[in-house]
Amino acid sequence: MRKTMRSLLAVTCAAAALAAAGCGTTSENSGQVQQQDPTKNCKGPDGKYTIGMSQANLAEPYRVRMDEDIRTAASKVPQFDVQFSDAAKDNSKQISDVENFITKQVDLLMISPNEAAPLTDVVKKAYNKGIPVVVLDRKVDGDGYTTYIGADNVQIGRQAGEYFTKTLLPQGGKIVQIKGLSGSTPAKEREDGFKEGIAGSNIEIVATADGEWERSVGQQKMDALLKAHPDIQAVYAQNDPMAEGAYLAAQAAGRNDLKFVGIDGLPIPSGGIKAVEEGRLQATNLYPTGGAEAVEAARALLIDCQPVPKTQTLQTELVTKDNAAEVYARLNQS
Amino acid sequence: MSNQTAERPSAAAPRKRAGTAETLFRFQSFFGLVAVFIAAVIFSPRDDEGQILFLTSDNLFNIVRAVSEIGIIAVGLTFVILIGGIDLSVGSVLGLAAVGSAVLMVEDGLGVWATVGLVLLAGVVFGLLQGTAVALLGVQAFIVTLAGLQIARGLARMWSGGETVQISYGDGPGQAPMLFSLLGERTFGGVVPIPVLIFAVVAVAAILFLRTSAYSRHLYAIGGNEKAARLSGVPVNRVKIIAFGIAGFCAALAGIVHAGQLNAGSPNDGIAYELDGIAAVVVGGTSLAGGRGSVIGTIAGALLLGILNNILSLNSVNTDLQLLIKGLVIVAAAALQRLRPTS
Repeated sequence: MRKTMRSLLAVTCAAAALAAAGCGTTSENSGQVQQQDPTKNCKGPDGKYTIGMSQANLAEPYRVRMDEDIRTAASKVPQFDVQFSDAAKDNSKQISDVENFITKQVDLLMISPNEAAPLTDVVKKAYNKGIPVVVLDRKVDGDGYTTYIGADNVQIGRQAGEYFTKTLLPQGGKIVQIKGLSGSTPAKEREDGFKEGIAGSNIEIVATADGEWERSVGQQKMDALLKAHPDIQAVYAQNDPMAEGAYLAAQAAGRNDLKFVGIDGLPIPSGGIKAVEEGRLQATNLYPTGGAEAVEAARALLIDCQPVPKTQTLQTELVTKDNAAEVYARLNQS
Repeated sequence: MSNQTAERPSAAAPRKRAGTAETLFRFQSFFGLVAVFIAAVIFSPRDDEGQILFLTSDNLFNIVRAVSEIGIIAVGLTFVILIGGIDLSVGSVLGLAAVGSAVLMVEDGLGVWATVGLVLLAGVVFGLLQGTAVALLGVQAFIVTLAGLQIARGLARMWSGGETVQISYGDGPGQAPMLFSLLGERTFGGVVPIPVLIFAVVAVAAILFLRTSAYSRHLYAIGGNEKAARLSGVPVNRVKIIAFGIAGFCAALAGIVHAGQLNAGSPNDGIAYELDGIAAVVVGGTSLAGGRGSVIGTIAGALLLGILNNILSLNSVNTDLQLLIKGLVIVAAAALQRLRPTS
């Protein structure tokens, strides 16, 4: 027993000594962002380019579609070879993925980070090595990247709110909100925007539930909400799967009068646009993946030798039964 | 478990047996590691100057850095698995420790050493409690640590309010001391990541400890035949409880490294890490039935899986196919163990 304790102590002390000895380290954490010529890797239309795309996870259909959009857009650029990695929601894995892309000396890095703070350093490392970096959907801290492409969640929430005030419930009414995972940035931003959108109207959010972005959780929470608030008229869900889950719960409870609005509008058979077209949801709000735009940015940087804007905010669009078929077709043009 | 016991009643002294085949099997993971390494060199892509990308020091250290957290966890797991137990809670304990490190420094303004000390202590206590439940209450380790997995994850969520706690460095309030940021950095001319050094220290300490202590003989004895060990005067309960304490300590240490590397503690950190850790132990040749295996094997196993990950990624092997290949390697390693001569 005593020996055990002594050994444990030894490990601790050794680790401590090492940590203390590390004071003269070359910093990766606190390193400065170097100025980068964003088109340095540009070899023009005759070059061949390898692009690494580090995806945060492929568990969400939205991210599968993002990869798909990149693949489709890149297939039209013969100079591009895009390699994909999937971090499976693990920040550590995503750091390794990016490090591997650096080792492979990719000509450009695309990344949709799992979380901002943990990925900031490795993204900056790639950028400082002269690799142009296109950040998609979720941001990183600081400015160690070439361009950020993403949609504005506040704006999308506001658009959803305005649809409630102008079209769905112009006279006002009681609704419930099914939020995304509490603590995640989009959940907060989509809520803030929505509240701006319904400000000054007679619409009242009588309850908010955490649906964790998932269909099954949305359904489960809606079961309870229907019991607690039988007088509601509509549901604002922060993504389409939760809206669909809530719809299922309402169906099971015999509430065919309720109206549902979601966000995302994925142009896939199981996505929100089809749900609107088929009448389960009244509307969804398009949250573009930015895949095509990312490939466009890569083309500008690598082939056209043109700089790109530091931030590109993607436009959202309201999808209702009137335009669902058209939007679906447009987004799936190859 | 009973299978092994029947075959090897004298499992208490596993190092005494010799023979070429036996040596081959004992160092199976080491040979596997060498084979995978050579394969990685052969299949490595090269850059424009013909340099083998896999062998660049940057890449090799990236591999060990990526492995270090799982490696530290796996070293701790080896102790538990040697007694025929299992610890499913280590991934969650890592998450709890990462969150704890962040909260204690950023929100409670504690210094680095106080934070590290408290978090390690929490990890040890958590492990000891689980060990106590296993040893004294007689509940199966699988069940106890499955509950531990949930409890630690729940504590991590509660402690962080369900949100990622970001760590920024500096002297001001709400900032962590610069010292902690060293975990995310590299030393020796910016080449060797600090987590690699910590992994190395843990590995060496664990190897020496298993080589020299009486405790080690007790571990193998219990894993070989618990009843016989008890009859021959081995303090079975104490040895078990300590093994879980060591696993908790290692998981907490990995969590501290995690938080320092990522500048954040997230309640979702370390999900499924226990499975990667168990994979490293199994590939390393330690029997899940207990009584047989080594920390060196575990380290070789962790590195083998790390190199495999790296070379598959460098060759842009499709992610789905990567999972499949890694699964096959684990099965192959376990199957080789079955072929091992037992007399």
